[in-house]
Amino acid sequence: MADQTFSPTIVGFLCNWCTYAAADSAGVARMKMPPSVMVVRVMCSGRVDPLFVLTAFLRGADGVLISGCWPGQCHYKTGNLQARRRTALLTSIFDALELGMSERFRLSWVSSSEAPRFVRVVKAFDREITDLGPSPIQDELFL
Amino acid sequence: MNAKGAVLSADEGMDRAVIEWLKEALKREIFDAVLIPVETPAEDAFAYLLIQNPAILDRASPLPPVMPVQGGKAIGRLTMRGHLNDRVAAVVRPCEARAAIELTKLKQAHLTNLVLITLDCPGVLPLSDYLEDPAAGAARFAEAAAQGDRSPMRPTCQICHRFSLAQAPGADLHIGILRNGDGAAVIVPGSAEGERILEKMEMTEGDEGTRLVAQMLERWSAQVEEVVDAQLERRRQAHAEVQAAVAGADRLLDTFSSCINCHNCQRVCPVCYCRQCYFESTALKLPPDNYLARAASKGALRFAPDTLLFHLGRASHMALSCVSCGACEDACPMDIPVGQVFSLLADRAQDALGYVAGRSLEDPLPLVAYEMEELHDVEQPYIEIYHEQEVQDA
Amino acid sequence: MPEGATSSAFTPKGLRTNQGADETVRQLLRSLLERGDVEAVLALGRTGTGEEGVAYSLFADPDAFAPDGDARPLLPFMPANGGGLLSRLTLGGALVRPVAAVIRPCELRAFIELMKLNQGSLDNVFLISFTCGGVYPLETAVDGGLDEGMRGYWQGMEQGELDAAVRPTCRACQSFIPERADITVALFGEEHLDRQCTLYLNTERGAAFAQGLEGTAVTGGAEHAAIERSRGERDAFREELFAGVDGGMRGLIQTFGRCIGCHACKTVCPICYCQLCHFDSPDCEREPGYYEAELRRKGGLRVPPDTVFFQLGRMSHIALSCVGCGMCTDVCPADIPVSTIFSKVAASAQATFDYKPGRDLEEEIPLRTFREEEFAQVAT
Repeated sequence: MADQTFSPTIVGFLCNWCTYAAADSAGVARMKMPPSVMVVRVMCSGRVDPLFVLTAFLRGADGVLISGCWPGQCHYKTGNLQARRRTALLTSIFDALELGMSERFRLSWVSSSEAPRFVRVVKAFDREITDLGPSPIQDELFL
Repeated sequence: MNAKGAVLSADEGMDRAVIEWLKEALKREIFDAVLIPVETPAEDAFAYLLIQNPAILDRASPLPPVMPVQGGKAIGRLTMRGHLNDRVAAVVRPCEARAAIELTKLKQAHLTNLVLITLDCPGVLPLSDYLEDPAAGAARFAEAAAQGDRSPMRPTCQICHRFSLAQAPGADLHIGILRNGDGAAVIVPGSAEGERILEKMEMTEGDEGTRLVAQMLERWSAQVEEVVDAQLERRRQAHAEVQAAVAGADRLLDTFSSCINCHNCQRVCPVCYCRQCYFESTALKLPPDNYLARAASKGALRFAPDTLLFHLGRASHMALSCVSCGACEDACPMDIPVGQVFSLLADRAQDALGYVAGRSLEDPLPLVAYEMEELHDVEQPYIEIYHEQEVQDA
Repeated sequence: MPEGATSSAFTPKGLRTNQGADETVRQLLRSLLERGDVEAVLALGRTGTGEEGVAYSLFADPDAFAPDGDARPLLPFMPANGGGLLSRLTLGGALVRPVAAVIRPCELRAFIELMKLNQGSLDNVFLISFTCGGVYPLETAVDGGLDEGMRGYWQGMEQGELDAAVRPTCRACQSFIPERADITVALFGEEHLDRQCTLYLNTERGAAFAQGLEGTAVTGGAEHAAIERSRGERDAFREELFAGVDGGMRGLIQTFGRCIGCHACKTVCPICYCQLCHFDSPDCEREPGYYEAELRRKGGLRVPPDTVFFQLGRMSHIALSCVGCGMCTDVCPADIPVSTIFSKVAASAQATFDYKPGRDLEEEIPLRTFREEEFAQVAT
């Protein structure tokens, strides 16, 4: 049962050229979306080191989102393809250890002209994380 | 320093008494946080936790049966980039406090805003012994500690004479435990800061109380002195035995014949602080011809090479700061008595330079505290030899 | 094609000698050194005068392989991963003259992985491996217990049975037939190892180097019924071993609760080659502000911090290349079954990419390559 007062904290690594621009447009157009995403702008989704994702989770993030350009449209040609592989690697690690972190980890593609899509992605992810509840390791001392 | 102090009434056991005292100190905002060992979630070891929430203190253990992480190392990691602005009380064993003091002199820790609180230490169990059966280990430790029996403890603990304040005077506060029942403990200041804390904790007594405290302090001091004397004798004897077992090239090589170069000893050592140990650096990573030539000249070359260089080299790097805690021996997967060997080397090296690692922040590090007139007995033989040579050449 | 690589034009040959396995291998290595075919041999050997010391050595003197010499090439013990040692040997430059190495299948795979990561050179490295029945944990050798501890080993090897006392990682190992060796010595499930020994000469050079050995030609390969049966047993054990890993974040925290952050697992791991590990670097040294912030947020935190971060982070770095050699568990001062956990994670990661480390030099490590169309299910 989701806690009504729980407002998720989602760390979002958004690529400068596509998703970040879309998020920006969404903001300018005053499109409504939940305030859960803490945006970290990266030049490319391929910049996201798996250790960033791990750090975010271990520091108490309820969810982590990486979002970049569609495959074939990466500003640096293939960075997003690397991001996709790293996501596959991380989720295979999370699943092998049954950490329940795969469900809280999302990779999405949103191009700069897709502001409404960005809003949909954020709303959907926010809803999922709210349903999942706060991170189970929020109060964990022995990390 | 006057022999001041106070009594820590320990009706529910010493652990409880210390924890209640710490909680009170947190409440009075004398400290903002406490660094102290806490049992792990699986109840199979103890880890240092930095605690602000007093409720967590209830699970803490000031003198756990094992020392997986050397407290000096924990303090070092906590303060390596600078001291905390929070006032922290670190509850550690004397060798851990001494390591923290060494690290501070080596600029790898910062003790500003950090209060060192030590306790009379009965030793710790070897980690692998404890892990076989933690519950039994805890019981064995408690019994041995109560009786002053060091036989189940780490080999370095068995010969330790710096387990109390008198021989490890760098702490701000020290908790002295009286043996033979009572369950009483004394808390003694080791520094001006310690005195101030005791005052703030209103642990100064009236006239009657003062006399009682003085009596207990005297009893405690006498007890400690007796044990220190006995331990010094054991230490002397043990070191003589170790020396006989490892001295000479053959015996030394035998001692380290099963070494697998894992470098655990270096990694857990509190005073081995280098991010990248020299013995893992590219300085010792050479073109293959170097290794093959050495193999050819001797018939064979142990590979990876330089095992003895690592141990002797590490000794030359840190023997002057070694606090004989024995963390190295605990961590060795091949049960090499490396702690005992290094304890011997440390004593000899520190004696030669009139230094005691971790005794005081005021003692300068011996390798950089040279004088014009000193250690003539080291150079004299060489002066004589060269003089003979000069006379011959003339 | 570098020397020693499996040439598709060469048909592997089998050779059965009339001497026991130990004698055959010693004779082979001795003759390689005597003839000057190789400059040195990397193999296990006894060190010191007691019974405890076992280490890899570069042997240059042929007498080391005489019956009473120091070398013990087939000893079921792994004081260090031989693949990592070969990398160390050739990191400073390729070998100009051949050096032979007698290493286990997992050590060989680790070396191949390291080659993909540019950590050395295969040139002039002559690889001898064998079908493997596992090794004993390091603690077996403490107090001179190795000879006693391995008493039942060779009987088990002949019967294709793993000794229950070998490392759990070994009992769960499915990759015990070497790939890419110049010579494979058939040991596991082979009869009469005390008086005969079958070698598979997989490359031209393997065949050339084995010229001095007398024996009869045999057909077939190292695989046979006993190996198939053992595979089944190992699979079952593997499942059981992995099922024993405490699941979930809770389980991970409990398991690594007693981790002391010594990073020994990383030091002995052949795949962890970084000169300065990220987790030892300034990037992981925390400012006072970090500790204070975490204190406020949770009321307490462990010191030193980042224990779970190191474990998960190291997994993310090496899971794709983990060869399951088991050095990590062996060296852990806190008796944590690191290799079991890492092998379980590695199995999952490697399956995701249908990748097996060390099986093929040309097969790129999955994170170093990518395709335009793949893993559509990963992104939304």
